[in-house]
Amino acid sequence: MTLQECYAALGGDYDEAMGRLRSERLVQKFVLKFLDDGSYRLLQDSLAAGDRAEAFRAAHTMKGVCANLAFNTLLASSERLTEALRDGAPPQPDEGELVEQVKEDYERAARAIRAFQEGAGG
Amino acid sequence: MKNRTTRFLISSLVGVALLCVCVFSIFALHMSNQSAAAINRVGTLYMSSMSQQTSRHFESIINLQLAQLNSLAGTVSSDRIHEDRKLQEELTAQGKARDFTYVGFCNRDGSLEMLYGSQLTVTDPEPFLASLSSGEQKVAIGTNARGKKVLLLGVPSPHEPTAEHDCVALVAGMPVSYISDNLPLEENNERAYSFIIRQDGTFVIRSNDAYRNNYFERVRVLYEDVNGMTPDQYLQALSAAMAEGADYSNEFTMEGERYHLYCTRLPYSEWYLITFLPYGSMDTVVTDFSHEWSSLTILSGTIILTALLLVFYKYYGLTRQQLREVEEARQSAEEAREAAEMARKEAEHANRAKSEFLSNMSHDIRTPMNAIVGMTAIATANLDDTRQVQNCLKKIALSSKHLLGLINDVLDMSKIESGKMTLNLDQVSLQEVVEGIVSICQPQIKAKRQHFDVFIHDISTENVICDSVRLNQVLLNLLSNAIKFTPDGGEIHVALCEEDSPRGEDFVRIHIQVRDNGIGMSEEFKKHIFDSFAREDSARVHRTEGTGLGMAITKFIVVDAMGGSIDVESAQGQGTRFTVTLDLEKAQVMEEDMILPSWDMLVVDDDRQLCESTVAALSSIGVKAEWTLDGERAVEMVVKRHHRGDNYQIVLLDWKLPGMDGIATARRIRQELGDAVPILLISAYDWGEIEHEAKEAGITGFIAKPLFRSTLFNSLKQFAGIEKSETPSGKTEKSRDLTGRHILLAEDNELNWEIASELLGAEGLELDWAENGEICVEKFQQSPAGYYDAVLMDIRMPVMGGYEAAQVIRSLERPDKDVPIIAMTADAFAEDVRRSLDCGMNAHVAKPIDVQEVMRLLGKYVR
Repeated sequence: MTLQECYAALGGDYDEAMGRLRSERLVQKFVLKFLDDGSYRLLQDSLAAGDRAEAFRAAHTMKGVCANLAFNTLLASSERLTEALRDGAPPQPDEGELVEQVKEDYERAARAIRAFQEGAGG
Repeated sequence: MKNRTTRFLISSLVGVALLCVCVFSIFALHMSNQSAAAINRVGTLYMSSMSQQTSRHFESIINLQLAQLNSLAGTVSSDRIHEDRKLQEELTAQGKARDFTYVGFCNRDGSLEMLYGSQLTVTDPEPFLASLSSGEQKVAIGTNARGKKVLLLGVPSPHEPTAEHDCVALVAGMPVSYISDNLPLEENNERAYSFIIRQDGTFVIRSNDAYRNNYFERVRVLYEDVNGMTPDQYLQALSAAMAEGADYSNEFTMEGERYHLYCTRLPYSEWYLITFLPYGSMDTVVTDFSHEWSSLTILSGTIILTALLLVFYKYYGLTRQQLREVEEARQSAEEAREAAEMARKEAEHANRAKSEFLSNMSHDIRTPMNAIVGMTAIATANLDDTRQVQNCLKKIALSSKHLLGLINDVLDMSKIESGKMTLNLDQVSLQEVVEGIVSICQPQIKAKRQHFDVFIHDISTENVICDSVRLNQVLLNLLSNAIKFTPDGGEIHVALCEEDSPRGEDFVRIHIQVRDNGIGMSEEFKKHIFDSFAREDSARVHRTEGTGLGMAITKFIVVDAMGGSIDVESAQGQGTRFTVTLDLEKAQVMEEDMILPSWDMLVVDDDRQLCESTVAALSSIGVKAEWTLDGERAVEMVVKRHHRGDNYQIVLLDWKLPGMDGIATARRIRQELGDAVPILLISAYDWGEIEHEAKEAGITGFIAKPLFRSTLFNSLKQFAGIEKSETPSGKTEKSRDLTGRHILLAEDNELNWEIASELLGAEGLELDWAENGEICVEKFQQSPAGYYDAVLMDIRMPVMGGYEAAQVIRSLERPDKDVPIIAMTADAFAEDVRRSLDCGMNAHVAKPIDVQEVMRLLGKYVR
């Protein structure tokens, strides 16, 4: 699996990432590092603990990371969740769906990156 | 309700008033009747007592004379009187001594035998004689020889009548005036008067103006009314009373005056005393009293009525006030109801508009979707035919773009409606914005062969702070509407001008006008043009596509978001003019030094204002320029200068000129001057089509309208030997070399930090990482003063956020506490930018990281 295919699989924009990071080496480096990024876990833990402020910050950070890497699908769902959690806004009825969506998109991205990792490593 | 109450009040008031008047009238009438009866009674009483008095008086004066006569009779000692001369003489002497005028004897046959005095005749001898014969004393009236009336007194003779002398009584006579002199028959003071009459009505003594012989006759002639009876009825009643010997009292009217009368029998006679008293004198007192009563009655009636009236008036007022209050309450209720109704209607209207909008939307979305689906099918069926596929793809792309526009509008609208649309303020070049719009619209204008012109009046501030995307959106909306609603070959005109802003020196007021001579709008629609979902629903506009949201969005952006105003003038069939007025902050950016050599230039355009404005713009960048309005005159001027050996350095020629157009003029100038002078063609159009012809005619180059100062400078500087700008897009600031500068980067996410570090490190910067705001502050504090050239600050961090960290750094006691701090965050909302600036940060840059932008900002703020 190539990096482009990986981007296609996780719903990102490879060209945009290349435009920003300028070299395939860097894109690859940061994409692989994405798996180690703690934002997603922090988000899940905060939501489980009911700490909405922390959850907001985590979602916000994840949004920033996705924006930098041009992971546009995950960027979109995490952005929606960020807005839903912003400034102690009252829980929206569709918040559960947003969380589910983020989870789904994150796992999709993680699967794609792992597949790429295996391809790159093997 | 009001009328009913009022009617009730008024009718009851009238009723009570009438009742009052009735009661008082009856009362007054009764009183008046009572007083009449009282007068009657009093009159009768008075009259009876007066009559009795008169009657007694009469009795006493008659008694007096009768006593004289009796004593005279006593002197007749023997019945021989008729023979006794001496006795007769004595009797005569004594009679004269007693003041009798006549003395004689009365015979049985009623004849009188006189002792002295002339012969008398008894007027009514029978009752007289009868009385005397039965031994009663009597008075009567007789007449003397001369026919004069004489009062006769008779006393029975003391002697039995003899055979030769049948004398029954001694009779004395005296003038009738004895009675009238001694009886008060006429009482002057009270105007009362009396008659003495016989039973047949003949007068015994009459007084006053009674000249008839009979009282009854007088009654019949003079009396008008006797207390409801005719005079004859009265006379019958009077005669009956007389016959019985009873007293009689009544009232009558004579010669317009009312009188009381009282009739009583006089003693010693067959006579009746009848006394009269005028009503007037008698009832004055009673009348006065009754008048007083009446006045009192009327007064009290009036007082009661007035009081009633007052009470009613007061009550009426109260009722009226209550009614008014009720009415007011009803009105306010009505108003509230109307307001509710209005609100309901508005809600219904909005609802209907929304439904209409949805149905329009589904139609509008369906149209490009149909095209996309259809074209996809055609392309699939013709995969081998490249041209066909290309054609299909082109149409699909167009439809997609249209669809995207629709969706964007709907999204904008929903943002506006939820109040989430905010501006991303940044430095904007008006020149770029207008040029961009013009180039976007040019293909459409060309397709419709519309005449297009764009005109700049003296714009000195080209760089302003604004949301360029929204400003673009507004202008595009207005311009595309103008193109859409102007038929082929119509005219479209865009103009910009500038004036001082009332908001202060840091602001500038920009007017943007978009004018066309298209189909215009109806007055009715003009009112609704800025409403959401509004579209002129008439046959001529129906085929024009759009969401009906464009103008609502435009108005929201201009008025609500940017605080400007938008005006529309339009007349059906004549065209439309939109004017947008904005107060924009001047960008605090050092504008490039725009100075050209002090050339002489010629500007040729048929628009005088454009010429003047261009000349002014040129003079502000150091160029002296002259202008003229047509090609012929331009050629003359150029040739004249050429002959003087003082050529214009550059000629600016409008393409569209009246008479000789720009290309023909250029050709003429080239014929006269050769290639010496650069000639530039000004045009608002895409000159692709005429480029070849223009070059052949000797045109050196083109300048696109609008002619901003920077447009002129950038187009002309190539002729001045100034090197061309590296960034033709207008971002003229060159990136500074910041190699080796120290930057402190606060970012909680490692991945983001690595990316930033990698990218900025590649630009030669030395980066230090702080995992949160607190560490950032610590690292900054621990560094030597001036070590860090800038801080890049993430906003959302654990422990301490970016806003707080920036505030802490600004409050430190350090010489470098005003180090440039640039916010970096994924929140690109205007309010985030404002808050960053409020916290003391210098600038704001959005994530994902844009190295060029970061470097530009660093270059700007790092010392």
